Amino acid sequence: MSKVLTVIRKEYLERVRSKAFLIGTLIGPALMGLLVLGPTLVARVAEDQDRTVGVVDATGEVGAALAAKLAELGDDHVTLRILDCGGGDACVDELKALVRSEAVDAGLVIPADFFEHPKPVFYNTSVGAEVLRGDALSPALNRVLREERFKREGVAADRQTYLLASADWSSLTLTEGAEEQSNADVGIIGGIVMVMMIYFMVLVYGQQNLTVVIEEKSSRMVEVLLASLKPEELMFGKVMGIGLATLTQVAVWTLAGVALSAQGIAVGGANINLTLFGPWFWINFLLFYFLGYFLYASLFAGIGAMCNSIQDAQQFSGPLTMGLVLPIMLMMLVIKAPDQTVATVLSLVPFFSPILMFMRISVSSPPVWQVVLSWLLLGLTIWWSVKASGKLFRAGILLYGASPTWKSLAQALRS
Amino acid sequence: MTPIKPDLPPVGEPLLVVDGLAKRYGAKQAVADVSLSIPRGAIYGFLGPNGAGKTTTIRSLMDIILPDAGVMTFAGQPLTRRLRDRIGYLPEERGLYRKMTCQDQLAYLAQLKGVPRREAMARAEQWIVRMGLGDYLKKKVDNLSKGMQQKLQFAATFIFEPDLVILDEVFSGLDPLNIELLRDLILEQKQQGTTILFSTHMLAEAERLCDAVCLIEGGQKILDGPLDDIRRGFPFQMVRVAYKDGAEPPADLPGTIGRRLEEGTWRLEVEAGRDPGELLAPLAAAGPLSLFAANRPTLSEIFLAAVRRQRDGAATVERSVS
Repeated sequence: MSKVLTVIRKEYLERVRSKAFLIGTLIGPALMGLLVLGPTLVARVAEDQDRTVGVVDATGEVGAALAAKLAELGDDHVTLRILDCGGGDACVDELKALVRSEAVDAGLVIPADFFEHPKPVFYNTSVGAEVLRGDALSPALNRVLREERFKREGVAADRQTYLLASADWSSLTLTEGAEEQSNADVGIIGGIVMVMMIYFMVLVYGQQNLTVVIEEKSSRMVEVLLASLKPEELMFGKVMGIGLATLTQVAVWTLAGVALSAQGIAVGGANINLTLFGPWFWINFLLFYFLGYFLYASLFAGIGAMCNSIQDAQQFSGPLTMGLVLPIMLMMLVIKAPDQTVATVLSLVPFFSPILMFMRISVSSPPVWQVVLSWLLLGLTIWWSVKASGKLFRAGILLYGASPTWKSLAQALRS
Repeated sequence: MTPIKPDLPPVGEPLLVVDGLAKRYGAKQAVADVSLSIPRGAIYGFLGPNGAGKTTTIRSLMDIILPDAGVMTFAGQPLTRRLRDRIGYLPEERGLYRKMTCQDQLAYLAQLKGVPRREAMARAEQWIVRMGLGDYLKKKVDNLSKGMQQKLQFAATFIFEPDLVILDEVFSGLDPLNIELLRDLILEQKQQGTTILFSTHMLAEAERLCDAVCLIEGGQKILDGPLDDIRRGFPFQMVRVAYKDGAEPPADLPGTIGRRLEEGTWRLEVEAGRDPGELLAPLAAAGPLSLFAANRPTLSEIFLAAVRRQRDGAATVERSVS
């Protein structure tokens, strides 16, 4: 066992100390931050800027009311510059000229019959100013309009708040035992993000084992090593060492992702807050990532041992990769009906469970026994795959020259 | 797990014994029936042409392949994985991790043989300095010349202070300087008491180094024993002769039992007990001589004679059966 630990230690440190690992580990969160926080930050910066809006107010009263309402709502970074030129076409032309010359950031024209036909016109030089209209001007102007109409209809001021109320939603997901408050979007989007992470990492790092083994064969190190430890031990140590290195990276990325998402980021309108996922989710994330990695990595390593070049290996690695791609294709099925028989059965298949069972855990609450069963099935399959790959290792690791065929692969497995 | 320390037999007594080893690859019988007894403290030559089954035998010894039959013992105990930690192996196909530093590389290989990490790092440094590679201690293997890499691989084989070391075709592909270097290192290790199994197809090289040998061909043992004993078993003499005009020695030379033309020189095998000098007169009578020399046979000549003797023996058996 101490020899296996020596191999694990060497493979782990070799990776963790490499520049590529450091860069990869840092670039992950940096990219995440850029993709996720970027738009929010840009919007926030834009919001905090002082903006001046030129206003042509044909009613002579809305402009002032709007300024007061903006102040009341806390949008004090928007300044209104009410043009003192009546409200005719010439006045509008003057406003347009001001907007074009960027003397003001945007222009607003309030027609004389605003309270009967509320059709204000907004002028800008870039689409970016839409944020200003949507977030600041529009809510304030709506309030001005409604309050004036309520007044005309004789509604008392204290009734206005009551009449203007919006529905205040609570969205609750029921889990076994406890009642958990969450937003359905959080589960689906957050789940998809984490599932894609499992898929991507298992594919990339699993396949890395194939390359590493082929390289080791071509470096002629194998025979020296096999004089010291069994092929199974060598393979297990390699797969484990590389696996722990990737787990380190995944852990850093995940912590960064959680920290970033705690800032309250929005992607495509849905709010992703990974901090809302409980420990059960994270235990399963790490477990399914690592078990999935181990299953595929050990098989990739076994294939690598039989082959002398990446080209040789492609005919075997292709079908194995399908085991990962297929559940991604089936993912929508599971998201739509996570607790129906089809999804349940598919999520128990060991080659699929790292993706599909984990997807079910993100969007629903599958019974604990099903989750534990999928762990066990996955564990059993790994036990089989390590044994099978050990055989491939023993048969193939000293084979140079001949390209393997499916037949020779089957022969090695039977031996 | 502490490294195992078996009780070794006295010098000269069998350290590693292989009995009835056999291995078949599909239709090919790579090793049919090989038995070896390697005395402690010796350089034991494991000899035979390419494809004779040497590497298959060695890989079985190191548990890299599983033999079909055969018993192996080391210091009187069945050869287990733990006992194999006392055996160093330098295969013909050998490499190094190019991106690792010299020290890490040696220490890693030592650890895989059971040397604790700290100790392994210290020993790696000692060996690297001793090999004259001190400047490369923390440098990557990539920076080493081929000769330097040979030294490092050699150091890796001996760093864990093995009781037995197996060297498989260590000289193949090396220039004369590197061969000289490795030969000195091997003799130095022998001086320190390490038993060495030296596998090669270059019989001349083995003759210079070995105390005892085993010759195999086609997966079968032809002969084995201490070199002196083997010579006694083949007491014939060799006469090398060449003519200025390239003529052939006369056919009816008394006391010769075989002849062969090798690089322009005739090699005549002279019956045991006869004086090779008796041939000078009849040979000189046939034409102008450019060379006449009498020597004891080389190991490869003994090997050829032994192969012939075995075939004749097999033929005799066949004849007696029919």
